[in-house]
Amino acid sequence: MNELRQLAKELLGNGTVKVIIGYSEGTTPERAKPFIARTEEDAGKLIFNKYCVNNLAVYLTRKEFKRKGTIGIVAKGCDVKAIVQLIQENQVIKDDVYIIGMNCGGVVSGFGVDDTAVKCNNCKVKTPHLYHTLLGAPVETPAKDDGHLKLIQKLDAMTAEEKWSFWEAEFEKCVKCYACRQACPLCYCEKCIADKSMPRWIESSAHTRGNFAWNIIRAFHLSGRCVGCGECERACPAEIPLSLINRKMGMVAKKEFDYSAGMALDAPTLVGNYDTADREDFIK
Amino acid sequence: MHEKTFRKACADSGLNPFLCEIANLREHCSWVHEDIVEGTKKAIDLVRIAVERVKRNVPLSPIQVPVTKKALVIGGGISGIQASLDIANAGFDVVLVEKQPSIGGHMSQLSETFPTLDCSQCILTPRMVEVYQHPRIKLLTYSEVENVEGFIGNFKVTIRKKARSIDESKCTGCGLCVQKCPIKKKAYNEFEEGLAFRPAVYVPFPQAVPNIPVIDRTVCTYYQTGKCQMCVKVCGREAIKFDQEDTLITEDIGAIVVATGYKLYTIDKKPDAQEIKGYGEYGYGKYKDVVDGLQFERIASASGPTSGEILRPSDNSVPKKIVFIQCVGSRDESKGFSYCSKICCMYTAKHAMLYKHKVHDGEAYVFYMDIRAGGKGYDEFVRRAIEEDNVKYIRGRVSRIYEENGKYIVKGEDTIAGMPVVIDADMVVLATAITAQPDAVKLAQTVGMSYDKYGFYNEVHPKLRPVEVSTAGVFLAGACQAPKDIPESVAMASAAASKSLVLFGSDLLEREPTVAKVNESICAGCFYCQKVCAYNAIERKEIKDRQGNVVKVIASVNSGLCQGCGTCNAVCPSKSVELVGFNDEQIYAQINALG
Repeated sequence: MNELRQLAKELLGNGTVKVIIGYSEGTTPERAKPFIARTEEDAGKLIFNKYCVNNLAVYLTRKEFKRKGTIGIVAKGCDVKAIVQLIQENQVIKDDVYIIGMNCGGVVSGFGVDDTAVKCNNCKVKTPHLYHTLLGAPVETPAKDDGHLKLIQKLDAMTAEEKWSFWEAEFEKCVKCYACRQACPLCYCEKCIADKSMPRWIESSAHTRGNFAWNIIRAFHLSGRCVGCGECERACPAEIPLSLINRKMGMVAKKEFDYSAGMALDAPTLVGNYDTADREDFIK
Repeated sequence: MHEKTFRKACADSGLNPFLCEIANLREHCSWVHEDIVEGTKKAIDLVRIAVERVKRNVPLSPIQVPVTKKALVIGGGISGIQASLDIANAGFDVVLVEKQPSIGGHMSQLSETFPTLDCSQCILTPRMVEVYQHPRIKLLTYSEVENVEGFIGNFKVTIRKKARSIDESKCTGCGLCVQKCPIKKKAYNEFEEGLAFRPAVYVPFPQAVPNIPVIDRTVCTYYQTGKCQMCVKVCGREAIKFDQEDTLITEDIGAIVVATGYKLYTIDKKPDAQEIKGYGEYGYGKYKDVVDGLQFERIASASGPTSGEILRPSDNSVPKKIVFIQCVGSRDESKGFSYCSKICCMYTAKHAMLYKHKVHDGEAYVFYMDIRAGGKGYDEFVRRAIEEDNVKYIRGRVSRIYEENGKYIVKGEDTIAGMPVVIDADMVVLATAITAQPDAVKLAQTVGMSYDKYGFYNEVHPKLRPVEVSTAGVFLAGACQAPKDIPESVAMASAAASKSLVLFGSDLLEREPTVAKVNESICAGCFYCQKVCAYNAIERKEIKDRQGNVVKVIASVNSGLCQGCGTCNAVCPSKSVELVGFNDEQIYAQINALG
């Protein structure tokens, strides 16, 4: 913690960064909250621990920070993946971000709880793959049973009708608060298609049809792009298992194109990249 | 097809032509459905959605773009030469790009040509010189097209001029360097089809245009060890430039003629990219006296390695018995290509005839599948080979060739007599299939042409638009489209030239106004549209505030390049880019019209 505060103080002091997006203590110690450090004094409030669940990359595309000089950001491996994807998609200029990479042993699944998030069970980026400064000691945690995978396999085994009724029951809960969208670092459109009214592709009322339309469009827009930070699911007040959809799409991208989002800055994005060697046999 | 007619009718009656909408009941309904009742329902739906769409159409006017009146011809064989001369003689500039150090192509290698038996070089070389001297033709040999951007009338072409290691402005073509080069037997002579060697510094053939040598860096001693420099010593013009580098030339081009020709199917090796089983049993590559058609052309050519005498490559003896095998690779799906190479029947008859004219007491056998001699004077030519020159034609295939006591035992079948045939030949000539150039696919992707599974370029319409490709402003000539003989290639080249001239006949091109347009206020600048755009029509545009700071970078459509395909619209997550005259509201209304 001290090295983070020290580094933040230096970076803010010598003007390397304009602000640092990080975490500070919330109302209770188990509730870390996003915090923007603007002064050397602010740097002393920065913290990092397993309660720092938020993916702060979501702030990088905000008007307040975009193209406003170099921004420092405290980032776990999964957050770095989002930053990489944002750079690939021209949303963040590589030189405009200073990544304070944090070795991470996993975070909790939500505010005020103490269990490790499912996404951390099989994390491949406990040590971030891109950073300007790396802090903390590498953490070795035993690989755990991947809860999502089992559920996905179960869903895969279902008939189309069974799948439909499974998701119908889940999406019925959706109130279209769009918290999933707001929490997602990769949902950065200036005007979301869900907010368009001419034509209105997605019905705004909480009706099954509109709920399906929203969630399917969201899934499609994130396929090959989702980095699996799990923020959408954590933000969802209706507890819809959105990670299952994202994870499944990611698995397809991996299987069909050997592609993992947010891993390499110079990799072409999955969508929009055409390669004559691409497999075509799944087109029937 | 008929949209034009109805749009014109609208325009004639004073209505904006783009307010016209067609419910395509013929192709989309009546021709494809057998169930009349259901088909009628669908027809009603199609009309309904067309009505919803037309309600939301807006008047549009065509986009006008200028035409660069300069043609690029890729390939300097007879097709490329003909196309270049036709365009240049009409008064327009031509850039002719040839991969090899000299123009001339395969025709320059041929001995005599069917069906008249006139000397190939004698009729070709004057054309080559005409190209070289033409004030409107810019000749770039030893060069390759690297990149093509833009669209009809406005291509921007990048050409890589490979380093010859010779200063072209100084070289007089005296040939001293070629004579004195000590590397004599390291490199096969490509022009002689590997039947002779050439020095490291060489001119492909004596009549080469331009008559400027090239240094083959892979065999030149200087490039291997840093020593020698014999050519430098003998060159009185200081034209040898060992440190010369490739140069990139960009040209603004209006029309492109692709005339890259063919390659003979090499049967000793299985090409990596193709599922070819090959004809290993014929011993090509293993037996020196089993040669292919082009090698025999060189052997029969007065300028060839044997000065026109028919001699065996192995021991320079005169073959007394020679066997020609047709359709090696052609018309054979299991071992080669399913298509007919078209010219082999004729050139084999010519080969046999040339052999008989030179070796009077020799015996010539031809194994054939069918004789395909469609063309003016062609069948008469084959009859002449059989009747006057006594060439023995055997209908059937050869199963195997092997060596025994200095003879090549050709085992085949005479399907007319219904019996096996064994010939102890001194020499065998294989009429191997004509294939696409090995880098045909790469060029297709550079220029934007579609190609068939063999790598031959596709014309837009096999009957009515045989020289155009699907990219407007690009035309085909010669054997790059399909196997072809000289007269056909020349005719096609003139056709491609005339298509280019049609284009050059107008100063402005009108383009459809139905192109993509970006809603600048909501574009987030993810540039997925740029990645998927097949026409490079998406550009980056900086939005600045009043102080001149870049606030955001967004996509912008170059309406000159945009073809209105709508892929950008499909991939845009926020639908910030839409097609004019085909926008989301129209599509939404159309869907809703289906109830």
